[in-house]
Amino acid sequence: MTQTSLKTAPEPLAPIPFHLSEPFETRLKNGLRIVLCENDRLPLINFRLAFYSGDADEPSDAIGLTSAVAALLTEGTENYSSRELAEKVDRLGAHLSANSSEDFLVIAASALAMYEADLIDLLAEVLFRPTFPESELSLYKRNTIENLKFQRSQPNFLANEQVGRILYGEHPYATISPSPDDIEKLKRQSLQEHHASSLVPNNAVLIVVGDFEQDQLLAKLEEVFDRHWPKGEPPKREFDTPPDRSAVTITIVDRPGSAQANIVLSNLAAKRNDPDYFAAVVMNQVLGAGASSRVFMNLREEKGYTYGAYTRLNMKKLAGDFEATAEVRTAVTGDSIREFLYELKRIRETPVSEDELADAKNFLKGVFPIRAETQEGLTNLIVNQQLYGLPQDYLQTYRENIDAVTADDVQWAAAKLIQPEKLAFVIVGDGREILAQTSEFASDIEIYDTEGTKKDMAELTAEPAAPASDLSGKWSLSLDFQGQKVPVTLKIEQEGAVVTGTLDTILGSGTISGGRVTGNKLTATATTEMQGEAVEFTINAEVESDSITGTITAPIVPNALPFTGTRDN
Amino acid sequence: MSETFSLPPLEIEQYKLENGLRVVLNHDASIPVVALAVYYDVGSRNERPGKSGFAHLFEHMMFQGSENVPKAGHFQHIMKAGGTMNGTTSSERTNYFETLPANQLPLALWLESDRMRSLAVTQANLDNQREAVKEEKRLRYDNQPYGQIFDLISEMIFTNFGNAHSTIGSMEDLDNASVEDVQEFFRIYYAPNNAVLVISGAFEADTAKQLVKTYFGDIPSQPIPAQVDVEENGEVANKYKSWEDKLAPFPAFLLGWKIPKRRSTEFNSLYLAGKLLYDGDSSRLYQKLVKGDESVIQLFGFTDERRGPSGIFVGAIPKPEMDLSVIRDVIMREIRSIATDGPTPDEMQKLHNQLINDSVRMRQSSMNRAQQIAEFTLYDGDADLINKELEELLAITPAQIRAAADTFLNNENRSLLDIVPAGKG
Repeated sequence: MTQTSLKTAPEPLAPIPFHLSEPFETRLKNGLRIVLCENDRLPLINFRLAFYSGDADEPSDAIGLTSAVAALLTEGTENYSSRELAEKVDRLGAHLSANSSEDFLVIAASALAMYEADLIDLLAEVLFRPTFPESELSLYKRNTIENLKFQRSQPNFLANEQVGRILYGEHPYATISPSPDDIEKLKRQSLQEHHASSLVPNNAVLIVVGDFEQDQLLAKLEEVFDRHWPKGEPPKREFDTPPDRSAVTITIVDRPGSAQANIVLSNLAAKRNDPDYFAAVVMNQVLGAGASSRVFMNLREEKGYTYGAYTRLNMKKLAGDFEATAEVRTAVTGDSIREFLYELKRIRETPVSEDELADAKNFLKGVFPIRAETQEGLTNLIVNQQLYGLPQDYLQTYRENIDAVTADDVQWAAAKLIQPEKLAFVIVGDGREILAQTSEFASDIEIYDTEGTKKDMAELTAEPAAPASDLSGKWSLSLDFQGQKVPVTLKIEQEGAVVTGTLDTILGSGTISGGRVTGNKLTATATTEMQGEAVEFTINAEVESDSITGTITAPIVPNALPFTGTRDN
Repeated sequence: MSETFSLPPLEIEQYKLENGLRVVLNHDASIPVVALAVYYDVGSRNERPGKSGFAHLFEHMMFQGSENVPKAGHFQHIMKAGGTMNGTTSSERTNYFETLPANQLPLALWLESDRMRSLAVTQANLDNQREAVKEEKRLRYDNQPYGQIFDLISEMIFTNFGNAHSTIGSMEDLDNASVEDVQEFFRIYYAPNNAVLVISGAFEADTAKQLVKTYFGDIPSQPIPAQVDVEENGEVANKYKSWEDKLAPFPAFLLGWKIPKRRSTEFNSLYLAGKLLYDGDSSRLYQKLVKGDESVIQLFGFTDERRGPSGIFVGAIPKPEMDLSVIRDVIMREIRSIATDGPTPDEMQKLHNQLINDSVRMRQSSMNRAQQIAEFTLYDGDADLINKELEELLAITPAQIRAAADTFLNNENRSLLDIVPAGKG
């Protein structure tokens, strides 16, 4: 090779084919489907017992029941306490856990292959004999409620909550999370009943990937999972269809004082086993899946509106949606939406270039075998193929199918999955500012507060009541933090009705930008950085000349903390 | 069962180019993927007073372009080929790595060789990356609750500057760095004879060797960098510090001990003692503090593995109304119990199974293999140690664990950092 050949990127070597063998499939007499995929590369074994019903299948007066059942399967059984189970699992160097999503409940177990029999026993123990102890349920409720309250301080959660409600209407996908009240209502008895009625073999698949002897394993699975596990009645998945939409709507979640606007533009798109799946994935790769996709290059690299802008296809079992998302400086909310709309229109109306198409396909084909390198990764691929009812040779033909996508297919998929005239805009941030920048995009506008309650639009459009007092100055507050008095300092600069400044508390130091004074009421948000994410404290207060009373709401802490204070002279 | 467990050895071929570059090939064609790891023998341990933070600043510079790869081009090339990549800096080394479809091996070698040969160390790149590092320090250390505590405790347990100071370094030192300083740093430390290159995954050995020669063979070697002295004098690490953290929501504490170097019997014994104390839902401290007493929000512990004196740490964020000294007593009592009675037979069985499990799982990913092999090659001069590590750890006896806990994890050798939320102390 000559020196000049080092100047440009080299050509790849001949591609090496990636072969995945098709798994063995059978069904036990009680209806349990069995999928076995032998892989003796390393002495490991991986089990997934998956049920074809999930959070969407629970009654509307028992939201959160399925996830509670899943979480508590491993917290105590007829033969072992929660601690004994943890010890048994750890002593094998194994892993055992259960989780639910909208469409599925999955129990996962993995270990060294020599512990195959022990692992099957543990899997059977948590599946057939969980006791849902009162003490563990009560610990679960306490921790879950704290997490749910914390979620409400996060703008992403507030946005997703609205997107779910608007796109899915009466369909259960509309509910993205239980409420603290839902969790509070959970009873041990309803967990036991749900466990007994919904975890039935004729609604499940057991997938085993790893180093095993097939006949021997099959015999053991029949013995454990067939004989004592009668058929049941699988839940009927008959739900209301998501509503038809005919125009763009705007939903603003008002978070007074937010420094950023979280934008989500979304419409209903396609379910996971849509025939145009591959074209859809390539389209989304070009448009917004990654850091070299169009919307990222436009909104971040060219315009500098945001740290990241992406598009996503959420393809679930029964329906799905398309989303374009970014967190932007409030002042460029309108401009960011214009750039998004430009990119959505462009990919629908103009064929993608050959280079963009090739880059997107190369990326998708290239990372596919990397994802299958570990047994955990390979198992996940097989689990998805099984759970979503994808073709038998789905994994074997994935890369060919990606490769076959043409520029025309991409344009077709964009036109089918992106509907600019029916988008739901959901924007979380300073309502007044966002409303001023977005009202040109649609006439159907609704406002919600951060608790999810609908507000009167007049609250945002009315001229704000003139601030009765000037809050400028340094305020020394005494905060009631779980019985302890904690000093807090509030430094405020006020211009007209707008307040800026800092909040120094034991929970951190925050910057206040764009708080508001209405009459003698102050609403403001202080932003700080925790573990790489922006978190916010909300301040609500009333002022009487030099004295102030109010509350501070902070993440991690479940309830609003009351305070009183005075202005320093 | 675990005593009889054995794994087939990984295929290892190690050799050296004329310019001193150490090359290791680990052939495993089970998946058509290839991983490349380039480890430079430079970390914060090499930095002298007044020059802290250079190794990490350099990691940033390595993504700023070289003769034939424009700024940010490295990432774009890898992404378009369907790969993943990154780089990190520790006290011991600076590493760069990528995983790609196997047929893209030439691209990975070209990208790594281009920056080893011709990194663009310009004033503009230096200024730009100095600012990026400051931003990173603000984001990851200064502006994080508890973000500085691990750097603080290292300063407490170590006395030698090379061990004690943080990888992120002093911003003042970075401000004082001239472009000539940085060029000199590159010349000395980013030379082929100061680096290890590991290729792991699906490839033809002859093709790989030919490609390595083509891309790296003509990069000139440099005089060997001066040896660093990381020895600590004999003194123990008995220190106390109270630290006001204005972002921390709750009081917390961190205990640290200075312990012998990696791969010593004592280090391995303490690594295992640590697993028994804080690793997993069945660990002694998790069951006592998180589940039993429900006194702790978060419990954590880890060993800091170094070529010289190393460290072990245990920390907790207690629930707000809890007495920290009571929780520390529980921790010290559990450590005393290991130092007096040693681990139980059940605990030894758990350790053995976890070690075997970790070792088998590590082998699945070409990137994990490449990184571990690179460490053994750089630190110990022998890539084949990857095939002996499990055996070394399984050979540790309960008596050795007991003795190491007794000798090192005591109050006399203990540093205690109390984290006090500012305004509450």
